[in-house]
Amino acid sequence: MYAIEIEQVYKSYGDFPVLEDLNLRVMQGRVYGLLGPNGAGKTTLIHLMLGFLKANRGTINVLGTRNLERVRGRIGYVPERLRYHMRYSAREYLRFLGQFSDMDAALLRQRVEEELERAGLVNVANRMLEKYSKGMLQRLGIAQALLADPELLVIDEPTSGLDPSGQRDVLDLLAELRSSGHTIFLCSHQLGEIEELCDDVGVLANGRLIAEANVHQLRSSDVSVSIQVDRLSPETRIRLARISPNIKYGDHTILLHPNNQSLQHEVLRALTDAHVTILSLNPLERPLERLYLQAVQDEAPAFFPSPPVDETSESLLSPGFDVRDPLLKDLLNRYLNARPNGNDEAKGADQTDGSDEKR
Amino acid sequence: MQAILRTLRFTGFTLLEYLRSARILLELIAAATFWYIFLRRSGQSIDAEYFFTVTGVFAPALTLYTMSAVIGLGDRPQGYVLLVRKLNRAQYLIGLFASALAIVSGVYGLVCLTSAFLNPPTNLTLAGWGLGTLPLLLNAALLSALLLMLSPLVFSPGWRLFVLGLIALAFSGSFISGPFLDSLPVTVIDVLRAVQAVLGAPLVPAFYGFQLSMTRDYSTIAAPVNLLAQLMLLISLLGLAIYAFSRRDLIFSAQ
Repeated sequence: MYAIEIEQVYKSYGDFPVLEDLNLRVMQGRVYGLLGPNGAGKTTLIHLMLGFLKANRGTINVLGTRNLERVRGRIGYVPERLRYHMRYSAREYLRFLGQFSDMDAALLRQRVEEELERAGLVNVANRMLEKYSKGMLQRLGIAQALLADPELLVIDEPTSGLDPSGQRDVLDLLAELRSSGHTIFLCSHQLGEIEELCDDVGVLANGRLIAEANVHQLRSSDVSVSIQVDRLSPETRIRLARISPNIKYGDHTILLHPNNQSLQHEVLRALTDAHVTILSLNPLERPLERLYLQAVQDEAPAFFPSPPVDETSESLLSPGFDVRDPLLKDLLNRYLNARPNGNDEAKGADQTDGSDEKR
Repeated sequence: MQAILRTLRFTGFTLLEYLRSARILLELIAAATFWYIFLRRSGQSIDAEYFFTVTGVFAPALTLYTMSAVIGLGDRPQGYVLLVRKLNRAQYLIGLFASALAIVSGVYGLVCLTSAFLNPPTNLTLAGWGLGTLPLLLNAALLSALLLMLSPLVFSPGWRLFVLGLIALAFSGSFISGPFLDSLPVTVIDVLRAVQAVLGAPLVPAFYGFQLSMTRDYSTIAAPVNLLAQLMLLISLLGLAIYAFSRRDLIFSAQ
């Protein structure tokens, strides 16, 4: 069943069309990410789904009904800008919001405390919101959206304006929701967060959905990679050279280009068999970025130039195993788990991102 | 029942925010100044008619400020987070209206209490105060509803201009007159007078309410009929505001 079904929706402000004959479907229990440049119509689409705006034509079916008044209270909404009623404390605010959702008093008290706990705001729950940082407000935004246990969560630009630490907190919170099976519709222009959180992705530009893809399939597509290691012994180099002419290597870097899954598996096997410490695996191109750019630009190249290998980046990495790209982490996990004796590195990689396991 | 409860809770929510924003201080200062200038009148006693004449002007003036401030609170993007819940647009609008009216009534009540203790009107009983206060507060409610309806939250600029034009036409009797009026063709004058009469009709309950507040003369049927007319007009204005607000695209002012 679809949580959101949008058919042939057209919306304009005066003579200015914002959405043009838009079609979009989101399955229940999935996380759908809508990418698009600023001004593409993402927020307008959200406001149409929430019933704040009326479409000029077309149908919008949310949670099984076209009457959007009926879904009132069944959707949690996190707006883009952190605009809340700042003269309340978080606890007071959540209690009022729960009352507007007709929540039973005892349940409301319990849910408020649970959501404050989940958002990490218990210690500041009685502080006025005007004294909150942006990151705290964004976490409060997610808490208020989840308060009445909605069937659908709509999030507009979840990390907009946050510092890296605030972004990480919010993404972790959303990853937790994702694993709990919520249907989430997420708008963003940050490719990374869509890639990290979403099952499906759509690209909206100039009021049209110009591309759609399954993020997992996209991530499974072959990507050229650069593997950073502490040191390659001559024996290992010889073994690598025998595997494929697609492998280029230096003292600390191995380049798989063009890459494919079996090649990557073989290289990783060779490196682990030789007890080479892998410092990082980095894609030389990102499939989602490619999809996005090809969609929004008329003449985007099919593959993007590989970034230069930065040898100094090794020193910034923590010692031991570190895989920054979720796709590569996933591939490595699969490879290492398939081995008769999974090593400690594999366990470490599993622990870094539980969501990858489910895939 | 849930709808009423939700509206009351939103009214409480708005009132609490209003109080915490310290905007209420302005009303209190204005009320104190008003009382000091018009009702204290050291060494002089005031009668009931004078009391209701001056409070009958003060209350709408206060309503003008308070309702504008409350509309400002309601017309912010913060409203999206509220309206995605079971609180619907009608309840939202009525909550704003009720909040403003509660503030105006509260401040008016304070002025009355201060007068009662420090310089009570000579011929005013509690019952008389109630009879004078009822049409006065209904007028305040009427003005609140009109301001709400004409706010950017409810009416688009085009509709606002149209309604303001109608109101201007209703009052035009006082500024389209004399040689200018005489210079117009007879047909135009007749049409203008007919339009003024039709558009001016809704204003009658408000003006008569002001008069009723001063006289507190409920000996004729006209008094309760006028109260009913004020009430009907109030319901019509609120109904129109809710209808317009429910059907329009909800785009809060960015602040």
